[in-house]
Amino acid sequence: MATTSLITDAPDDRPSNIESTALLAGEGRTAAGTGLKRFMWLLAALSVIGFVGIVFRFINDDGRQDWGFYAATLAWMLTIFGGAPMVAIAPALAKANWVRPVARIASLGAIVTAIIALLMIPLLFKFPALTQFSEVLGDDVRRRSIWFDSRDYAPHFWNVLILLTLALVGIAMAYVMAIPDFAAIRDHGTGWKQRWGKKLARGFYGRPQQWEWLKMRIGITGALYFAMLLYTNFTFSLDFAVSLVPGWKDSLFPFYHTISTFQAGIAFTIIGVWAARRWGGMNKYVGHEQMWSLGKFMLATTLLWFYFFYSSFIVFWYGRSESDSATIKLLVSGPYIYLFWTVFFLVFIIPWWIMIWNKVRDSVWGPPIAAFIILIGLFLDRIRIYVASWSAVPDDLELATTSILQDMPDTMWPDVFDVFIMVGLPALGLLSILLVTRLVPLVSLWEIQQSRLITKPVRFLRSHVQLVGKPD
Amino acid sequence: MAASNSVLGLYDTPNAGADAMDGLKSAGFELGTFDVLTGTPYPEGAFGEYVPQHRLFRFPFFGAMVGITLAILFTAGTQLAYPVITGGKPILAVFAMLIIAYELTMLGAVVATVVGIIFESRLPNLNLGAYDTRITEGYIGVVVECEDDRLEEARGVLQTAGALEIKTA
Amino acid sequence: MQQRRILDEFTVNHELLRGNLATPKWWLPTVLGLLVVVLFGFTLMGIMFNRGLGVTGLSRPVYWGLFITTFVFWVGISHAGIMISAILRLTQAEWRRPVTRAAELLTVFSLLTALFFPLIHAGRPWRIFYWITPYDFARGIFPNARSPLVWDPFAIGTYLTGSTLFLYVALLPDLGVLRDRTTGWKRSFYTVASLGWRGNPRQWRLQTVAGILLSALMLPIFVSVHSIVSWDFAVTPAVEGWHSTVFAPYFVVGAVHSGVSAVVTMMALMRWLWGWDNYIRPEHFDALARLLIVVACAWLALTFAELIFGVYSLEAPERALREMQMFEWPWNLLFIIFFLTGFAIPVPLWFFKRVRNNIAMMFWTSILVNIGMWLERFLIIVPGLSRKQPFVFTWDSYQVSPLEWGLLLWSFAWVMMLMLLFSKFFPLIPLFETKESQVFTTDVQIGRVTMPAVIRELD
Repeated sequence: MATTSLITDAPDDRPSNIESTALLAGEGRTAAGTGLKRFMWLLAALSVIGFVGIVFRFINDDGRQDWGFYAATLAWMLTIFGGAPMVAIAPALAKANWVRPVARIASLGAIVTAIIALLMIPLLFKFPALTQFSEVLGDDVRRRSIWFDSRDYAPHFWNVLILLTLALVGIAMAYVMAIPDFAAIRDHGTGWKQRWGKKLARGFYGRPQQWEWLKMRIGITGALYFAMLLYTNFTFSLDFAVSLVPGWKDSLFPFYHTISTFQAGIAFTIIGVWAARRWGGMNKYVGHEQMWSLGKFMLATTLLWFYFFYSSFIVFWYGRSESDSATIKLLVSGPYIYLFWTVFFLVFIIPWWIMIWNKVRDSVWGPPIAAFIILIGLFLDRIRIYVASWSAVPDDLELATTSILQDMPDTMWPDVFDVFIMVGLPALGLLSILLVTRLVPLVSLWEIQQSRLITKPVRFLRSHVQLVGKPD
Repeated sequence: MAASNSVLGLYDTPNAGADAMDGLKSAGFELGTFDVLTGTPYPEGAFGEYVPQHRLFRFPFFGAMVGITLAILFTAGTQLAYPVITGGKPILAVFAMLIIAYELTMLGAVVATVVGIIFESRLPNLNLGAYDTRITEGYIGVVVECEDDRLEEARGVLQTAGALEIKTA
Repeated sequence: MQQRRILDEFTVNHELLRGNLATPKWWLPTVLGLLVVVLFGFTLMGIMFNRGLGVTGLSRPVYWGLFITTFVFWVGISHAGIMISAILRLTQAEWRRPVTRAAELLTVFSLLTALFFPLIHAGRPWRIFYWITPYDFARGIFPNARSPLVWDPFAIGTYLTGSTLFLYVALLPDLGVLRDRTTGWKRSFYTVASLGWRGNPRQWRLQTVAGILLSALMLPIFVSVHSIVSWDFAVTPAVEGWHSTVFAPYFVVGAVHSGVSAVVTMMALMRWLWGWDNYIRPEHFDALARLLIVVACAWLALTFAELIFGVYSLEAPERALREMQMFEWPWNLLFIIFFLTGFAIPVPLWFFKRVRNNIAMMFWTSILVNIGMWLERFLIIVPGLSRKQPFVFTWDSYQVSPLEWGLLLWSFAWVMMLMLLFSKFFPLIPLFETKESQVFTTDVQIGRVTMPAVIRELD
């Protein structure tokens, strides 16, 4: 029996059909107005405070342990903004329609990775060298790192290169995904926006071949971004945390780090969707469907966070070797035990309990609350990991010669400059995204158009259903 | 109310089946006393049928509670009953107990869910009532439960919608 | 390319019940052939119980050899079912439909097979009872819940029970179809087995909700099972190469890699043996191959982490083990075969659309993957044990005995025989999913192009 005979047309009264998207392209977020401008000025002020913090951090520099909070802040930013673009590509590869309106919000996170790459440079000067004590111990005695027998510039140079590559691929992806929207701005915008639209659209007029190219480029940059993100997390988490602690040998840690990147990326996108609805006037384009779908993924990554944590923990707990016990003590049960339990509740227990309820996932308020809690929790988690690692070894000789953490460091507390940094740098990240959205529409116009083209409300016998086309 | 008759009208197209359901509704048969039988799931409400409510989601919670209780009894009980230290672990090794507790919790949830599915589907019920084996071949069955006094009316409505055959049980 | 064909329910019943309502000519001889191998395997087990584990190649210090490798292998294969069934159900992937039943079935039968190996490996399997059951109040000795070896029966028991129930619930509508197509004692059997299925909206709705709810419950179990199996090794600091935190996800992803490949093998066989060309189409192999590329790459990243961290520790014994595993005869040969068959040959081939849509190529590459994945487990388990340890006073290299090879062969014959027996009484491709797919998919015309479309219910 052919299904087609059971389908009859139904009136298409979706709100997005009523309003012309050209308006959106031309004028951007007119609803935002002065409130947004004030908020951006506030972010700019906070960013300045962040830089003040960095300057004073340099002046009051007593060694590596002083830079733990700085490293944690950068790691947190990488976790959020590095992970967000994955939301734009992963569901898109599986041909999920709901992702289209949020792909833009998610992909813009890539802009911040470039800033992180630059902000990382001061930290590199604080790295212990691979063979710092070669005149004492000989050239073949090195501290443990995944760079093994490389030259001394190894972790420094490669880390900058890797993070810059990630940023480049991410920005390329975000740009490619925005080209048709630049064309719309060129055709419908005015003033400086139109000029920029024209430059950035690079002669895109929607010819079939151009669309083919576009699809292919999105696919390639997307796959590359995923690979680069995994690789960046691998090197970043090892160089900036694991290898600074003698005896910490955790082959799962890079993946734990990556999973929380996905978790944070989804959480960031959910909050972005909420903000776009609340202040951006995007209620017609993003809503329940996106919250519901993103919420499911956020719940899954929340469960995975616990799975990855526990998989490491149980191996250390059973191993009970001196280095195993020291690792547990440093990261879990020792100087940061209260922080650990806070993280455990904020990243796992509370969001899990919020998100298992269908009614909450199906609302526009539930997922943002859980997302906000997760982001705070992950910040504390990064503090737990990075501050502990950076405070672990004041003595580099020990790092090169022992495989057990001998002296358990005390709990580190942030000073006022750390607070400046922790507030200022994320503000800078957010500001950079908001600045870009002055030109680039917050939701992807062409993706919404395509979504409208291939989905259609119809009647199936006596019921109302939706017909969703699956283009190749 | 014990329905004494079950009447089945058999249709060769879904459209005719939907018409029969409409007819029964306008003839004043109570929602829930007539139903559509199909060999394949259709979108909900495709025949304008009564959409049943269920409480399946309660079952896994109940099962999980039973599972975790059993797990705690088993793990704590065996360790306390034979308290010998192995591998330097404490007698009540929470992280090991957690693993068994997790498995039994999930087992309880799954078993209870399956019980729930069968119960909520109102199975087992080996008495099929008025039924035709062609339903699993793509024909649409519309079945009405009614008292003797409305039997003829029901047959009439089913016939008007173009039933190929009408069966009573 | 449009591969979907419009089929009415009558045709679907007729074609998919081909193996149930009639017996294909090849069926009986094949089952008998497999039965011979199975009986031979049981005889070998009998010999082993009678003579003791000395008839195997197991000896100091390698006490975990082919049996445990094969146990891990079959637990790995069992991860096909839930991966395909649950994840694809939750993501509403339309192409899952012909695959789910076979995948779930593979889960159940491979778990049943996996269970045999630790039992026979114990030498006196009846004593396993003491090990997991808290019954012996007279002596006051109880199972040790702190031992990872006790976690296994719980994990596998849960997974086996869960997936069997999952399989049965999804089988209910099809049992109704069989009831309507059979007579005599068969009809009575299917009537009882289908519990009186009628196909009213309540039952269909529960069937749909059940699919999603059970998938959501089975997924966390699926992840836990192979993680727990991996902890049999990973929590042991004494054996080099085992004490690695990445083991849990590494085993799970490896299991998905081998399990999904096994589903590919099985689907190709089903298409060839029962002629189900209308249902198992090249597009399904294409989709599975794309999934496999992602899984295989994730697996490679985890393998890389596992190896790199072995060397990262800079500890001499760990480095020596890695050197042995990769560069010393005969392990180096096994390592090369493992890497070539598990990744380097099949994955690059799957990048080509022509390969993905070629069923014979998919069949052979999926078999390659499983050769590689068996070797992977062997290379994880045995080399670490065969190295000289502080408290080992004699040691010998491990030679797999003919009896062990015989039991490996038995396991394959056993799984295939169970599958074929199942295929005689129950449909291997879910009828109702196929019919549902006919209702829920259609074509949509956009301009001059016609593209496949699915019907989604509104909330």
